[in-house]
Amino acid sequence: MAKKRHHWIVRVTHWVNFVAIVIMVGSGLEIFNAYPAFARKGELFCCYPFEHKPVPDWLTFGGWLAGARNWHFAMMWVLVVNGLIYLGFVYLHGEWRDLVPRKGDIRDSWQMVKFYAFKRKDHPHQGKHNALQKTAYFLLPFAGALAVLTGIAIWKPVQLSWLTAIFGGYVWARYWHFIAMVVIVVLSVVHVFMVFAVDPYSLPSMFTGNYDENLSPEARNARPFYHLFPRRARVTPAPPPEAT
Amino acid sequence: MSKPGNFLTIGGVDRREFLALGGGLVSAAFLAACDSRGPKSAEKLLRYAERKNLGVERALYRHTAIDVVQHGAHDAGNKLPSYYVSPTVPVWDESARGKWALEVSGLIGNPVRLTLEDLQRLPRVSNRVNHYCVEGWTAVETWTGVPFSELAKFVRVAPEAHYVDFQSFDDDYHESWDLESAMHPQTVVAYGLDGKMLEPAHGAPARVYSPVKLGYKNTKYLTKIVFMPKMNGGYWSDQGYEWYGGV
Repeated sequence: MAKKRHHWIVRVTHWVNFVAIVIMVGSGLEIFNAYPAFARKGELFCCYPFEHKPVPDWLTFGGWLAGARNWHFAMMWVLVVNGLIYLGFVYLHGEWRDLVPRKGDIRDSWQMVKFYAFKRKDHPHQGKHNALQKTAYFLLPFAGALAVLTGIAIWKPVQLSWLTAIFGGYVWARYWHFIAMVVIVVLSVVHVFMVFAVDPYSLPSMFTGNYDENLSPEARNARPFYHLFPRRARVTPAPPPEAT
Repeated sequence: MSKPGNFLTIGGVDRREFLALGGGLVSAAFLAACDSRGPKSAEKLLRYAERKNLGVERALYRHTAIDVVQHGAHDAGNKLPSYYVSPTVPVWDESARGKWALEVSGLIGNPVRLTLEDLQRLPRVSNRVNHYCVEGWTAVETWTGVPFSELAKFVRVAPEAHYVDFQSFDDDYHESWDLESAMHPQTVVAYGLDGKMLEPAHGAPARVYSPVKLGYKNTKYLTKIVFMPKMNGGYWSDQGYEWYGGV
């Protein structure tokens, strides 16, 4: 039976977040390509192996530096306010219980890894999310917060120099801004991959809100690309015996 | 891109406006896939967001916020990129144009023409500060010149003046500023760089320099400083870059 899974606020903020992240990453990479390096002029930077190598154009958005900056500085408000609405809702409505780490999560994560690596036959028992998935969803807001704070730090390195200083100065704040983006992109790409490879039934549920637990990865014993379809036709309950 | 529009509205965004902005931007972004610059309909929203950001940035602005060079940072020296919009390095040709002088005019009590020697007789500071380029790089340099606030005192700025336009002989390059950023203690009309007189590559004979503005706001090859009641756009801000360009 289809059960209510996502509140409409979660569904709306999810898709707004999707658009905001795509635009922020695309325009951010366009801005990055104007100076695809981290070193202060006249210095070298220790910790980025691709200094002065621009990212491919197809990853960028905004057309040119000014266009990308205008998109970046407009969409940042959407990202921040949308993120706050989501976090506020999850906190007030109790959904945080499905997301915060608990005792046993490390063990359960290890069991998930073993299951995906075919070292374990049956899907570990889980609640709304499996332990690996939960960890990813839990980490994403932190990466988001890091992206926002480092973003403010390189937007206003003089007016808010105290914030820039927390991240080690402008050059490092810009680096951490980049790293936060990489973390968000990696988590998002893995998330999308897993949706299609393990739980495609969760995609409609992010529109309708309803999810059939009989089709969950646990019920299907699904690994990436394994058991995408239910093992057997759903058992329809036998009609009640006729009264005689 | 056309003119950035009216920047005089300053204020926060209320919830209704935010929803309109957010909804508009999100749907605009959906429509944008075919055009990497984003759809034309988004331009209005982007300009709206820029106006709101201008309000936020001006509200954030403090004279007491000072740019400090990080401990251990190296000077850029000759690694400081030179920049101009003319086809070749703009050089003031004395034989054709006569002696260079900086004309200060507009809403002031004492309009003047200042030669380089006049500028050097005014109070002088040297600031070792960061250069923040719109492209994302920074460079540490020492800029020597007249604090803008001293120049403003000298020419007696009228209370109706709220903006300053810095104009150059580098084609039609100019950028106008809000007066408060110009009055920042680290804003100078610079004629020296790293202990030497400014060279043509970096804006000789004089340029405006401040760490509170992105590089493109710091007009090189100055010829005129005009105090104005309203903002007057700028070379890059008219083409789509933020007019405020504050750091």
